[in-house]
Amino acid sequence: MVAKETDDNQLMSQMQDLVQKTIQRTIKGVQFVNSAPASVGLTPKDLIYSRGTLRLYHYHPMSDEIYRVPIMIVMATTNRGYLFDLLPGQSMVEFLLKRGFDVYVVDWEPPMPSERGLRLADYTDDFLPTCVQKIEADCGEPDVSIVGYCQGGVLSLIYAATHTEGPLKNLVCLTTPVNQAEMGLFKIWSDERYLDVDQLVDSLGIIPGEFIERGFEMLRPAQKTAGQLRLWNQIWDDEYVRSYQAFERWGNETLPLAGEYYRDTTKELLWGNKLYKGTLKINGKDANLANLKIPVMNVMAEHDHIAPYKSTKPLLDLVGSQDKEELVLKGGHVSLIAGPRAVKRMWPALETWLSERSV
Amino acid sequence: MADDKPNLDLAAQFQEYVTQWERSVDKAYNDFMGTEQYSQSMNQFQNLQLQMQTRFKETMTDQLLNVNMPSRDDVLQIGENVRMLTDRLTRMEEKLDQLLDPEGQRVATKRPSPPRTKTPTPKADSADAPKE
Repeated sequence: MVAKETDDNQLMSQMQDLVQKTIQRTIKGVQFVNSAPASVGLTPKDLIYSRGTLRLYHYHPMSDEIYRVPIMIVMATTNRGYLFDLLPGQSMVEFLLKRGFDVYVVDWEPPMPSERGLRLADYTDDFLPTCVQKIEADCGEPDVSIVGYCQGGVLSLIYAATHTEGPLKNLVCLTTPVNQAEMGLFKIWSDERYLDVDQLVDSLGIIPGEFIERGFEMLRPAQKTAGQLRLWNQIWDDEYVRSYQAFERWGNETLPLAGEYYRDTTKELLWGNKLYKGTLKINGKDANLANLKIPVMNVMAEHDHIAPYKSTKPLLDLVGSQDKEELVLKGGHVSLIAGPRAVKRMWPALETWLSERSV
Repeated sequence: MADDKPNLDLAAQFQEYVTQWERSVDKAYNDFMGTEQYSQSMNQFQNLQLQMQTRFKETMTDQLLNVNMPSRDDVLQIGENVRMLTDRLTRMEEKLDQLLDPEGQRVATKRPSPPRTKTPTPKADSADAPKE
């Protein structure tokens, strides 16, 4: 009798919840349609250096005492760096600042037509070393830790392998594809026999952001529609909507790429797999990962569809470092940086690893 | 008995349905697009499109030159020059502000950095970290 009454109560409560959410869904749906784009990247920062496509930001410290060694986060060249500072409470930068780190971010603007000739070497042998110098001058410390994300991780690895004399102290690679033979669909679509990268670069000069974005979308064709359906289902939840809008904005702001850089990365990394094989040369210097002797941390996402787990896994076998650690997390390429699992697992692990090596 | 209970959590059911649908559609597309034939066709189409685009661009540039009008590249170049000039002006303005500001304000523009003396205290620090 009591059980029957409890069941009826539960049923009533579920009915009420359903009706309430349906009403809220309607009201919030109208609000959503009229809402402004998400405000992202709100943590206070200063632009300390810019040149063409390159931007170097310094975030204002949020702690009374900070670690000696600053962190330079290197964003992937295809996307905006505010992924690291998406929303208050969903910001890796804010987390690190509150934990006492001095944080700099290397971000990218769309390259100008005159920058179509930028090569891979310009990023790894000019942009990144210049940023490191600017940070040294700004903070007065002789050491820097680098955290590179995706292609930003690849650039950081090449920089580290070709600048072994310092001042790089620690290197963290987040979802960084090292073995590009394991790049899945990207590898198949860029088959050397069919993709005429020379014609592509020579015709376009700058590879449009839409072209890059289409490539990402083709990896998960149903993702966008499924995301919109989930949004409709969850639209009564303000936090969910705020996060959705921020991710949506970030995904839509895919950056164009300098043509020569695209040609280099396709031929040297994707086709030649030279970083993995240890045969990559940058301005005559060996970019062999065995050159790396500094502490290295490799963070990978188990269900990464952009930089598949198999492409990120071999890093620690290739570096010459004694102090090396890897962390495999459930989740995908983007949620690893700014998703709920990042907040719970990745950021604290990053903090622990870096703090021990930043004094 | 428990199986007979009506499940009114339609939101959860819908969520599950969307996830299953997304997985199956992605898998079907990936199986199709992951073939060598697809890669070959896609790249052939892209090459053809690029060739047509290049020819069209050349023709248009010639036509615009004939009627004394700027081409797309010219307009982009002007845009880039404007952007570079704006950047340069902004930098000059910032430098002028720094030079003209009274001493006290100039010092204030350089944010004082906290002391770099922090040492790791994992136990205490992780106490207020979010728990899984």
